[in-house]
Amino acid sequence: MNAIIKNPLALAGLIIIGVISMMAIFAPCIAPYDPDAINVKNILLSPSSMHLMGTDGLGRDVYSRMLFGARISLLVGIVAVGIATIIGIVLGAIAGFYRGWVDTVIMRIVDIMLSIPTFFLILAVIAFLTPSIWNIMIVIGLTSWMGVTRLVRAEFMSLRNREFVLASQTLGAKDSRLIFKQLLPNSLTPIIVSSVLGIASAVLVESGLSFLGLGVQAPQASWGNILTDGKEYIEFAWWLSMFPGLAILITVMGYNLLGEGLRDALDPRTSNNK
Amino acid sequence: MLKYLINRLFWMVPLLVGISLISFLIMHLAPGDITATEASFNPKTSEESRQKLRELYNLDKPVIVQYGLWLKRMSTLNFGHSFASHQSPVFWQETDKEGNVTKGMIQEALPITLLINVLSLILIIGLALPLGVISALTQNKLPDRSITIFVFIGFAIPSFWLALMLMYWTGVSHNWLPISGLHTLGAEKLSAFAQLLDTLKHLTLPILISGLTGLAGISLFVRNGMLDVLHQDYITTARAKGLPENTVVYKHALRNALLPLITIFGLSIPGLIGGSVIAESIFAIPGMGKLFYDAVLMRDFPVIMGILTIGSALTLIGNLLADLAYAWADPRVRKGVSQ
Repeated sequence: MNAIIKNPLALAGLIIIGVISMMAIFAPCIAPYDPDAINVKNILLSPSSMHLMGTDGLGRDVYSRMLFGARISLLVGIVAVGIATIIGIVLGAIAGFYRGWVDTVIMRIVDIMLSIPTFFLILAVIAFLTPSIWNIMIVIGLTSWMGVTRLVRAEFMSLRNREFVLASQTLGAKDSRLIFKQLLPNSLTPIIVSSVLGIASAVLVESGLSFLGLGVQAPQASWGNILTDGKEYIEFAWWLSMFPGLAILITVMGYNLLGEGLRDALDPRTSNNK
Repeated sequence: MLKYLINRLFWMVPLLVGISLISFLIMHLAPGDITATEASFNPKTSEESRQKLRELYNLDKPVIVQYGLWLKRMSTLNFGHSFASHQSPVFWQETDKEGNVTKGMIQEALPITLLINVLSLILIIGLALPLGVISALTQNKLPDRSITIFVFIGFAIPSFWLALMLMYWTGVSHNWLPISGLHTLGAEKLSAFAQLLDTLKHLTLPILISGLTGLAGISLFVRNGMLDVLHQDYITTARAKGLPENTVVYKHALRNALLPLITIFGLSIPGLIGGSVIAESIFAIPGMGKLFYDAVLMRDFPVIMGILTIGSALTLIGNLLADLAYAWADPRVRKGVSQ
């Protein structure tokens, strides 16, 4: 934790993510209006003290919608990466620990998945499912586990023959003990870094899908679909397109800063270079 | 070198089979069978014609047989016909009995996407090299810091938002560039040169978007590669023997730092192809991404499967070319495999 606070990148990322998460968690208390309340008298009002980020084409308060949209974006990002990380750890651990044909099979599957353009794959699967945030989380998770798998496998392979692992193996430790007590805890740093960076790209993918109309569906607010609504009014209501884009930019940047900062802070090799 | 090539080609076979399996399984995720979607485009479709369709796609046979038959058709590059757009062939042109040629959908869309991606790759290299080198040479000083900030923004900026903003700024409020489609209305009357210019103008924004979003990663990569190389002993040697700094940086360091870039380009192909969905659908460019997006909206199965397979095959070919280029550029790899 100290290392994070001392690293300016990580600290900046942590603050950004912290503030946005708080806003998302307490959205029902902070939001000045009901995010779905349509008010035809207040259509397309520009930002003012009444409506911090203006109102949209149906007179809904954009700031309130942005707050609730934050919940969706963060939730989708975190759950999707959680799914991907769990799959990645399990497959990577099996491949890196047992090697042999299991390893070959798993790594071939990884190669196959990596050669299918990810966004095409996600869209193709979504075409056959009803778009809902749960399906989106699952689909993003199921299409983004390859990196973690490779990472965990590589860590396991390099740790597998270290003295401390060999020592406990000689003392008769079971495979499960080796995996969970020794190999996994020692591979946690790169896994955490890649998960944090993974959330950043999952947020981008979700907002892209919602922007294309294949993600979170109206009336549920998400940053991507607020932007899609705003697209039609771009000539006379800039705030509808500006704020969701900025929100995505800042959030993704926050996760990237945190991830890169953590990598620097937790990896003794790179932090010595600075 | 030949042995290396054969070995690489051999490994592509299981990958291709795996890709086809995944595309096939996705089609079978669909609730009900695909004749239901065909029927939804043409409500007059009778149960009899649906049965015919089932026979055509062998839906009445066991799944494993279906897969085998599909693989067989696929190996002759026969991807069938689109459901949604008047039975156009999905992949390549066909001639009917009267000698009319119908162009394949992918055949028409692929060159456009490839053109955009090649041009944006050139843009990326042109900008990322100087940015990365400057960043590495001024490590932790002002130019490096500002480039790093730019890189972080570049990583985080949603491409569709950037596209929308640029579209508004250059197309709507200033009217500098066309914002939709590939040609101006009536462009076919212009001279060949004017037509080319017109198309290039239409492609400027899509190329810019695709280039700017890819730029961050590559320039960071050049920077880190340069830093790595600059700290190696042979660079110290080169400096110690009194070579001018420019020779050291550009002849000794940059060349070696660029080597891994070949692999990175190979790896970035699926991202570029996938990323074309957003840019092409925003700017209404009739490329692979737009075709895929429309197919997804219409649940046009043959087109979806065709593009998934072709897109993946392109990725494999791209990776193969990258590996070969790497082996060609790096004698260690080349010699290592020919032994």
